[in-house]
Amino acid sequence: MMADRKTTLRFWIRIIAALVMLGAGAVAAGTDLAGSVEQHIAPVGRVQVEGAPPLQPLEQTQPESAEAAQESVLVGAPQLKRRDYPNIGVSSRAVVWVVAQMHLFFGALVLAVPIFVLVIELIGVKTRDQRYDDMAHEFMKISLTAYAITALFGGSLTLALFLLYPQFMEYLTRVFGAQMLVYAVLFFLESLFLYVYYYGWDAMRYGDRKWLHLTIGLMLNGVGATLMVVANSWVTFMMAPSGVDEVGAVVGNIWEVMKGPLWNPINLHRFVANIAFGGAVVGAYAAYKFLAARTQEERAHYDWMGYTSNFIAILAFLPLPFAGYWLMAEIYAYSQQMGITAMGGILAWLFIVQAVLIGTILLAGNYYLWAGMSRTEGSVRYQGFIKWIALTLVVCFLIWVTPHTLILSASEIAALGGSHHHILGPLGIMPAKNIAVILMLIATFLSFQLYRRSDKVATVKWERAGNALMGAIYVIAIANIIFAGIYYGYFTNTVYKVGSSVMQVFSTLVVIVSGVVIDAFMFKGARQLPSRWGQVPDRAQYALFALPIAFTWLMALMGYVRSSVRTHWHVYTVMKDASPDNFIPTIGYAGNMITLVTLLFLAFILFIFWIANLSTTKQPAPVVAGEGA
Amino acid sequence: MGRVLKSLVYWVAALAVTAALFYGLDHGVMAMQGLPL
Repeated sequence: MMADRKTTLRFWIRIIAALVMLGAGAVAAGTDLAGSVEQHIAPVGRVQVEGAPPLQPLEQTQPESAEAAQESVLVGAPQLKRRDYPNIGVSSRAVVWVVAQMHLFFGALVLAVPIFVLVIELIGVKTRDQRYDDMAHEFMKISLTAYAITALFGGSLTLALFLLYPQFMEYLTRVFGAQMLVYAVLFFLESLFLYVYYYGWDAMRYGDRKWLHLTIGLMLNGVGATLMVVANSWVTFMMAPSGVDEVGAVVGNIWEVMKGPLWNPINLHRFVANIAFGGAVVGAYAAYKFLAARTQEERAHYDWMGYTSNFIAILAFLPLPFAGYWLMAEIYAYSQQMGITAMGGILAWLFIVQAVLIGTILLAGNYYLWAGMSRTEGSVRYQGFIKWIALTLVVCFLIWVTPHTLILSASEIAALGGSHHHILGPLGIMPAKNIAVILMLIATFLSFQLYRRSDKVATVKWERAGNALMGAIYVIAIANIIFAGIYYGYFTNTVYKVGSSVMQVFSTLVVIVSGVVIDAFMFKGARQLPSRWGQVPDRAQYALFALPIAFTWLMALMGYVRSSVRTHWHVYTVMKDASPDNFIPTIGYAGNMITLVTLLFLAFILFIFWIANLSTTKQPAPVVAGEGA
Repeated sequence: MGRVLKSLVYWVAALAVTAALFYGLDHGVMAMQGLPL
């Protein structure tokens, strides 16, 4: 017992040391900032007009000598012409679109799986339950196959970008310089840790070696997260360039170039979304294995694996809308025009499609939980809640998909009684949608809470008081969320309207945190009712298939929106896109491309599942005629 | 009857405590953003 505590302590000391080193690196990188980061964001609005004399950098100090003048020449972003882009006979944008999206899908999967695998492995060590260890190892098998495909698409993307957009890549490599080599080094480290982590699993299974294995997993995740934020900095530089002046000449150090206004919002949003996406994909693997299982033992194992995957996907998904809200708020703060292009212009309809897909995810996740309640007889107590949760989800979903600004014909305007419907119009703007989204998240958490309670009977004396407190928190929090959305959203100024969304977020967090804490104390020493893993209807597994399909489609959709808000710029406001594709395509064309990459990814995923299954399949030895007689 | 009354007392007390908590939370969260109420 004592040795176990010592190893636990050692593990956490390593974590703290790693965090301190990361923090020290960040501080060291940031210490040479001359003034605040905001001063280094390229100013929006001063743009190069075609045919006009080239813009000159502002506030250039006069060089003291000819030699100094030679050294201080700042080279701006190249101003391209149509002829600067190679023509390979098919749309360059379409090629890069497909390859980049595929690389991103697989990159997200490969970075996310080790995060929850490490947590599951740690739970296995703490609970001394071998099943957790086996499940974590099986999850890693999917990640390992996907890793090679990620690298293949990454290499293809690099080739496609340098072939089809050579001048743009020349500029990007000039801006980021040696940082791109750091990315390459990280890639080697990622491979090293990944292979040692996976192939060393059985060699480092017990005692101190197990903690060494966990440390390797921690290093793998540290390198993976760093890899992601480095790559994110290229994307956010294209959206909101920093560390360069208004013509794109580099005036800051690499830290100033990386730390643009959208870098951290994207980092957080992608980190959390990757976990949800990874959970959904491995959930589909568990469902596939469950449906193919031939023994009750196999069904029980994959049922449990599917439940864990759904738990990870939905748990990571709950805070995701808040991270997305922060990202969009930062986009509006950086450039109102960019924000309006996304949410009030041509791309606004895609946010309605987003609502449909997120509604699908939440309905599928909730349905899986309700179906899973059949594993225990104790769930009868909570069955009555399900129809009300379902009603809440459907009503909120309908509010969320209500559009606001429609392009209408004269007859449609006459039929509608104006450009906006007199009743449904107010439901089209953000305050109504904020209420709807948050109530859907709270309803999903309630499903979770009921599921977790369904196989337990509390034995504490204060059970009724605890339930009254939990119920009151739900009632008051929901009332507060609706009040904040309606009052501040429709009857006060914009500043209070936006500020009240933070109030709604905190109300949601109070529900989730108090729900976890109250249940933890209330069900301490509770009487356990028997749970029968594997006794879940087959149709619940199709909800697990629906999750990764909706997640993948959603990532392709919103990835397109994020990229498209740059409109006709390679790098917003400093480097124009002069290629034949420098326009926002029609929604129909974009929808087809998004669906194409989604189907392509799902085809690859089926291949990965098949490969993972193949590795455990053994051909029976041939029976020689006459031997068995 | 005693059981129902006891539950009612629990609920009224819980609602009062929670409402006070959220009232304070609303003021705190908005003040944190420089938006006093």
